[in-house]
Amino acid sequence: MAVIGAFCVSVNREACINASMPGKCATCAEVCPHGVYALDVETGMMHIVNYNACVGCRICSEFCPADAIRINPAESEYLSRYPWTLSAIEEVHYKAQTGEYLLRGFGTVGPTPNFDMITVVPSQISSAAPLDKYREECEMEVVIGEETCEKPLHLQVPFVWAAMSFGALSKEAKMALAIGAAQSGIATNTGEGGLIPEEAWLAHGYADKEQKRKKWDPGGFLIIQWSTGRWGVSVDYLNSGDAVEVKIGQGAKPGMGGHLLGSKVTEDVSRVRGVPVGSDALSPCRYYDVQSLDDMKHMVAFLRDVTNYQVPILFKLGPSRPYADVAACIEAGADAISIDGLVGGTGCSPDIVTQGVGIPTIACLPPAVQALKDYGVHRKVKLVALGGIRNGLDAYKALAMGADIVGFGSAAEVAMGCRVCYACQKGNCPYGITSHRPEMRARLDPIVVGQRLANFIHACAEEVKILTMLSGHSRIKDLSTEDLRAMDLNTAALTGLKLAGYDRALPFWEGLFGQTNGNGHQTTP
Amino acid sequence: MKVIDAKNRDLKTTNGLVKKVLDGQPIAIRNARHLHGLVAGLNKGELIVRGSAGDYLGALNSGAKITVTRNAGKYTADNMTSGEVIIEGNAGYGVGQYCYGGVVVVKGDAGDFTATMNKGATIIIGGDVGSDAGTYMLKGDLVVLGNAGRNFANYLIRGTIYIRGQWDSLGHNTRVEPLTDEDITKLHPYIEHYSMDAKPEEFKKIVAASEKPFYN
Repeated sequence: MAVIGAFCVSVNREACINASMPGKCATCAEVCPHGVYALDVETGMMHIVNYNACVGCRICSEFCPADAIRINPAESEYLSRYPWTLSAIEEVHYKAQTGEYLLRGFGTVGPTPNFDMITVVPSQISSAAPLDKYREECEMEVVIGEETCEKPLHLQVPFVWAAMSFGALSKEAKMALAIGAAQSGIATNTGEGGLIPEEAWLAHGYADKEQKRKKWDPGGFLIIQWSTGRWGVSVDYLNSGDAVEVKIGQGAKPGMGGHLLGSKVTEDVSRVRGVPVGSDALSPCRYYDVQSLDDMKHMVAFLRDVTNYQVPILFKLGPSRPYADVAACIEAGADAISIDGLVGGTGCSPDIVTQGVGIPTIACLPPAVQALKDYGVHRKVKLVALGGIRNGLDAYKALAMGADIVGFGSAAEVAMGCRVCYACQKGNCPYGITSHRPEMRARLDPIVVGQRLANFIHACAEEVKILTMLSGHSRIKDLSTEDLRAMDLNTAALTGLKLAGYDRALPFWEGLFGQTNGNGHQTTP
Repeated sequence: MKVIDAKNRDLKTTNGLVKKVLDGQPIAIRNARHLHGLVAGLNKGELIVRGSAGDYLGALNSGAKITVTRNAGKYTADNMTSGEVIIEGNAGYGVGQYCYGGVVVVKGDAGDFTATMNKGATIIIGGDVGSDAGTYMLKGDLVVLGNAGRNFANYLIRGTIYIRGQWDSLGHNTRVEPLTDEDITKLHPYIEHYSMDAKPEEFKKIVAASEKPFYN
C-alpha cells in the first residue's frame, strides 16, 4: 500500500468559502472519489474525515474555487520512521483486518535502476562532427515487417503507445490515444480488452467509420493485441488493424495474466469483451492453447494466414530472461519484440508483484539486443523498449542501447492528465482516464487530450532528434552504446555500458556481448 | 466436390487454395495431417478433411462447416466465433478453447482442458474428456456423454456443463444441480442432430457456485 497514508491533507479554513458562507461549497467532497472530505451539515464547514484515504491525486485542490487545499507528501514521516513508514504500518493493519493482499494501479513506486544514471556522449573533435538540428535532416522513421508482410508498419518517429486495454482505460482515454497517434504518425494498441469501434478509424486519422473524412494528419496505426484472455477476438478484430501483437507478458506483472474486476465490466466493456456485465474478466497467466515453442510457431503461422500475410506480427514480453525470451520470439517468427521492464504500467496488479518482480528496463535491453545480434536480425526484427520511459532523453538512451522503437504507457497517461495516485484499480480516476463512471469520463475530452498526447510525442521526438544530432548522427538507427556512458558502478554493472571516467565497460562485461574489447574500443556497431 | 491434396504443401499454399476455390460447393482436403491452422478464419463454406487433421484446425472459424473424418490434433476450433466443427474420431488437448460461438462436436474422446475459457460455444464430446475440462468457462455449454477426468469444470464462472458419465473430481466453484425442463429441451436437439446415443434425462448439470470466484 504505497500510497495510502502517504499524504498530508490541509484545508485553509479561512480561505474556504464555507468560512464566510457556511454550507455553500462542497466541491472537494463531491470530486474526491476516496471519501477524504465531508461537509458537516450542522455547521456548514468542510471536514477532513479520512486522511489515510488520500491517494494524492489532487483533484480536490484543482477543483477548489478558493484554492484552499494543499496536498503534500508525508515526507518527514518517511524519513523519521523508515522502513516503518505510516504507509507500511497501514498496509499491515489492512492485511490484519481483512486477510486480503493489496492491489495497486499504475506501477512501481520508489527508486529502481533506471536511465537517470546514464549520460549521453556528445560529439566533439575526435568523433564525427555534431549535426545542425535546424538545417540538417535526421531520419527518424522506423519500419516493422519490411520483408515479411504486404503492409509493413511505417512509424514516422520511433514511438508507440504501450498496450493499454479498454476496461483498464475509459473509452475516452482510448479514443484520445488513437487521436494522438493519428496526429503523430505513431501506433496505438488495443491492449487485451478488445477493440472499441472508434479506435480503428480514429487511429488512422478519420473522424468517421467509413474512413472518408480525414481529420488528423498524417494518420497513425493500430496494433491489435492477441492475448491469453482473448477478449473480443475474432477474424474481423484481427483484420481491423495494422499489426498483431502476441502478448506474452507485461512489466508490471510478469508471470501473471490480467484481471479486470467485475465492477469495471460495464455494459460498454461487456459488449467489447464479449463477457456478461459484472463478470470478472480474467486473462490467464499463460496461453492455454500454447504448450511449446512449436505451438507458438504454429500460432504465428495461422495468425499470418488469417490476416492474409498483410500485417506484421509483434510479440510483447515481460522482464524475465531477456536473452532467452527474445531468442524464442525470434524463432517463433516475430517481426518486432517489445520488452517491458520492471516499472511498466498496469491498471491493476497485486502490490507485491508490481513492486518486486522483474528486471529493470535498462538491464533487459543489453541481453535482448545480444539475442537479436546472435540471430543476425538486430535492426531487422525491431526491438521495442517499454517500461518507465518518461521523455525524449530516456527514449534516446533506450535507442542507443539498441532498441529501435520506444513505447510510452505511464507517460501517456500522465500526458492525458494523470497525477500518478496509484489507484487506477479502484475505478474512480478523477481525471476520467481509468474510470468508467460517466461523471469522471465527462472530464476527459478525447480531442483535447489527443492533442496533448500529440504535443507530447512531438516534444519527445524533438528531444531525440537534438540528442541524435549532437552525437554526430543523422539517423537514429546509427545510435549505439558508444553514445552513452554509465555514471555509476551499479548502472555500468547492469548495462555493460562504459563507465564515465574509466571509459570502458566493467571487466566482467568486456567481450561478453561484443561491445568492447580489452582496449575499450567498440567492436560492434 | 472439389478436392485439394495438401501433400507437400504448406499452410499458406493450402489455405490459399481453399480460399481461391471456395464457393457454394463442398471442398475435400486430404493428406493435411502435417498442417497446423488448416482452414483457419473462414467465414463460409463446407470443408471435409479426409483423414486426420493437425493442430489448430478451424481456428478463428467464423461461419464455415468443417468435418474431419478421422482424428484432430490439439486446439481444435480454437477461438471460433461461429460455424460448426465436427470430428468423427478423437481430438487432442484443448478442444474449443476461447470460443465465442458456434458448435464443436467430437464424436470420440477429447483431451485435457477442453472448452477452457469457452465464452459462448456449444461443445459436445461423444466420448470421454480429459482433466480440467471447462476451466474458466464464461458462457455457453459443454456436453459430455462419457466420463471426465480431474478438476472438471474448474473455476467455472458462468455457462453450463452437462455430463452423462462420472468425473474423477470436481473443480473449484462448482455446484451440481438437477436438470430442469429447460435443460432437457436444450439437450434434445444436440443429441438428435448429432446422432448421439443418449437421453437428455441421463445427464447431470454443473453450474458455477459463484459468479465471482476470484480473490478480490
